[in-house]
Amino acid sequence: MDDSSIHQIPLFIPHSNMSTKVNKTGSWRFFHPKFDEKTAPCSAACPLGQDIARIEMLTSWGLLKDAWQTILNENPFPAICGRVCFHPCQSVCNRAHMDEPIAIHHLERFLGDTAISEGKKADLKMNPANGKKVAIAGAGPAGLAAAYFLARLGYGCDVFEARSEPGGLLRWGIPAYRLPRDILNKEIGRIKDLGVTIHCKTPVTENLLEKLRNEYNALFIACGYERSITLKIQGGELAHDGLEFLRKLDPIQKLPFCGTAAIVGGGNTAIDVARSLARLGVTPLIAYRRRLEDMPAFKPETAMAVKEGVKIMELVAPIRIQKNTGDASISHPTYKLTLQQMKIGKEKIAGRSCVVPDGEKTKSIDVQDIFVAIGAKAETIWHFLETEETRTLDFGHCRFMEQKIPVFFGGDLTSPVKSVADAVASGKQVAIALDTYFEKGRDAVVKCLAACRVGAGPAISMDVYLGGDRKYRNLYIVDADDIVLDYFQSAPRVIPSTLDAHLSIRSFEETSSTYGEDAAKKEAARCFNCGICNACDFCRLYCPEMAVVVDKAKRGINLDYCKGCGVCATECPRNAMSLEEEIK
Amino acid sequence: MKKVLEGSHAVSEAARLARVQVIAAYPITPQTHIVEALSEYCSDGTLDARFINVESEHSAMAAVIGAASGGARAFTASSSHGLAYMHELLHWASAARLPIVMAEVNRALGPGWNIWTDQTDSLAQRDTGWIQLYCEDGQEVLDTTLQAFRLAEELNLPVMVILDAFYLSHTFEPIDIPDQKLVDRFLPRPSPRIKMDTADPCALNQLVTPAAYMEMRYNTQMAMETAQDCLKIIETEFAAVFGRTHGAVEAIQCRDADIILVTTGTVTGTCRQVLSDLRSRGEKVGLFKIKLFRPFPKDLICRHLGSANKIAVVDRNVSFGAGGIFAQEIQAALCNLDAHPRVFSYVAGLGGRDITPTTLVEIYTETKENSIPGQESVWIGLNQEIVDTWRNEGPASSLRSRLE
Repeated sequence: MDDSSIHQIPLFIPHSNMSTKVNKTGSWRFFHPKFDEKTAPCSAACPLGQDIARIEMLTSWGLLKDAWQTILNENPFPAICGRVCFHPCQSVCNRAHMDEPIAIHHLERFLGDTAISEGKKADLKMNPANGKKVAIAGAGPAGLAAAYFLARLGYGCDVFEARSEPGGLLRWGIPAYRLPRDILNKEIGRIKDLGVTIHCKTPVTENLLEKLRNEYNALFIACGYERSITLKIQGGELAHDGLEFLRKLDPIQKLPFCGTAAIVGGGNTAIDVARSLARLGVTPLIAYRRRLEDMPAFKPETAMAVKEGVKIMELVAPIRIQKNTGDASISHPTYKLTLQQMKIGKEKIAGRSCVVPDGEKTKSIDVQDIFVAIGAKAETIWHFLETEETRTLDFGHCRFMEQKIPVFFGGDLTSPVKSVADAVASGKQVAIALDTYFEKGRDAVVKCLAACRVGAGPAISMDVYLGGDRKYRNLYIVDADDIVLDYFQSAPRVIPSTLDAHLSIRSFEETSSTYGEDAAKKEAARCFNCGICNACDFCRLYCPEMAVVVDKAKRGINLDYCKGCGVCATECPRNAMSLEEEIK
Repeated sequence: MKKVLEGSHAVSEAARLARVQVIAAYPITPQTHIVEALSEYCSDGTLDARFINVESEHSAMAAVIGAASGGARAFTASSSHGLAYMHELLHWASAARLPIVMAEVNRALGPGWNIWTDQTDSLAQRDTGWIQLYCEDGQEVLDTTLQAFRLAEELNLPVMVILDAFYLSHTFEPIDIPDQKLVDRFLPRPSPRIKMDTADPCALNQLVTPAAYMEMRYNTQMAMETAQDCLKIIETEFAAVFGRTHGAVEAIQCRDADIILVTTGTVTGTCRQVLSDLRSRGEKVGLFKIKLFRPFPKDLICRHLGSANKIAVVDRNVSFGAGGIFAQEIQAALCNLDAHPRVFSYVAGLGGRDITPTTLVEIYTETKENSIPGQESVWIGLNQEIVDTWRNEGPASSLRSRLE
């Protein structure tokens, strides 16, 4: 045998140059897969229904402008909410079942800050002007958000603000160490750029209100809770109003406080007051009538306050404030605050344990100042009387009253949760409800709001309202069990640095920093992208019939060859596909 | 150049010199050293090959099948349970006529869990259509691996190069590593007859009806029948370049022998010593080493063993209910001769138990003292105390009493 004999050894194997395409395996099918994008739990938990899974996908790809605009579809304030929102999204993140939730909050701030620092201009979907004018009372987050969304829907908006600058609670209630003013101004500036006019130092008096009713097509009242609730105890008038104190801090100035100050209350305002006082060199002491775990203040803020040296006394209720005799100096504190010791009662109201006085036990503390932060309410001017003729409708985040013109109430006046994100959500709901009212009439509003729901609600989506791609999303909320964890590797959460407490209390400088781009991309890449297709292509790779096809970046199923095995839907790491039985 | 090398690394060196293009393997003791060395060669650039990490031996074989279908020179290695796990794809590789080379280290199958040598793993794959070559020492391992690529590519059949666990795989010996240039001359770059090409799409190995299936199998049989001659030619060419030859079988002092001991693998080395001891005592004994098991060299068996009086086959393997596998095959090869020797079958050294010169002398003596072999294989070196307990008290004894 020589080399030429090699090919004489027979070789008889099945071989065909004909395409296997003649074998239409689609005829075997009893099930068919489909691309069926679903709702991520974070989106459903976000009061604004932001498309977080997509935002993180775009961020991880480095498409930062697109990611930022995806936020702007639903929220005019990424840099603000990225700082002050208490991120209910993160507490439902499916990634927590593997290691730690995605730092959605920090990523939102990163996108907002990057857009500001790079001077990015948003290309927003805008309807042409429709000639209708809306008057908005209050330039807080709800009023500004309504103006933003209404302007995009083609309405002319005038915002009337009593104070010297717009922002409402964002400016007058949230200290600068949580929200720097340049960020606030930049984000409000973007709304002005849409053609919204903000009339500052223009309080809506009864006269003005009457004028607005005549000159505008609709009215939105978002005046917020401006009036603090006062302490109705002996000497209560000697205490400072906590909100008023925060208002005085803009612009930041050295206010004449010293020694120890008591803060009565347990909400976010109490914490803000205490932390601001700490920055002025005061030793803050919070007196709260319930237990620490009952405090309505958001937990991370309370934790930061404790780190910064704020002391919290629980189960104490103030009963008396007396002026000490002698010189007002640190060695001779001005006031004596008498506190009643409280204990947990047997009854429960709305899930919260009642507190009752613990017999006659009292104690008193000497302090230099006392601040009250036990809640706020609306000014009386806004207390509309419902007459027989007025028809009111409650939409959850706003209230609608059909008077001479349609009137909406929103923001803190109506939101069940008093937060910035809920206030913005209120503004969005007003915009959609009002537009539907004008376009399709009063009776269509409820149905239309329901059609814009994200998941089970109450969050609604402007993108859905404007007919964007999100309207095809399945309302099903992706569960941790739906995620194929085998495709993901455990990776530690990336968090931007924060100032140590001993440094943070030296000034009103912001306590936490923004991500660098690489860190942000890395963190965003941890996102499972629950329920949405991120083009990972495992469906296509695993399809034994090559029936998953990509055409102009859109994936589809070639039903001529899909034999319904379901491998694609089973392997989809993020439940962006479904399998449906076929009735033949 | 001579170097002191581990048996496993003799395989690795040969695969390197053969310039394999794709390696896919899953580690298993005692094979791991082979692919460990190759993965290092791939990562440090010594070898320009793609090393595919896989999650199982089944996938390892699937990967080399894919590579060979694309025309690449593909290599894998396995052992014992790993080889058993490949079983389905071993059939596929041969029926698809792919020239894959595999090193297989003979190791016992569990349970009881055992990593030591035993041929039952590779012999259980005898019907898969793979050529099987059993090696005796490190040099033979290296040379045979090089020849295996030639053999596989000329016949379009897969080849298994087989070596004993530890006695060979982990034993260091001086081995001559040939010069790359000489190897390139002996084993040029492959010119594959099966080579899928995306530029000219085709489908391979699809459905075949009863009308053609049998011809396809006969075709594989024809290739197998050519293998023995093909190996002979390749060995001649190998000898011309490297000056060494091993042969499909080796007959030592068989011509005048009354009793011929038949061995495979490393036992042959031990038996060479026993042969010379027995000869010096005047015993008319011969030694026959079988290297090529598939295809089974029946003509060589008949030629070398046909005229002896008795044949004693040492099997380090067992087919339960039938006995030593080499003995059965030899009996089958000899049975149609007009007059043929008696074939004595011995099972020894399972699960790595030593086969010492004493064991082999015992086998020789047993053969010499009995004129006719029993129907069943004789198990050598059993602990009689344990065996007797079962015989008298176990289920077999109660069954016997019921039959009576």
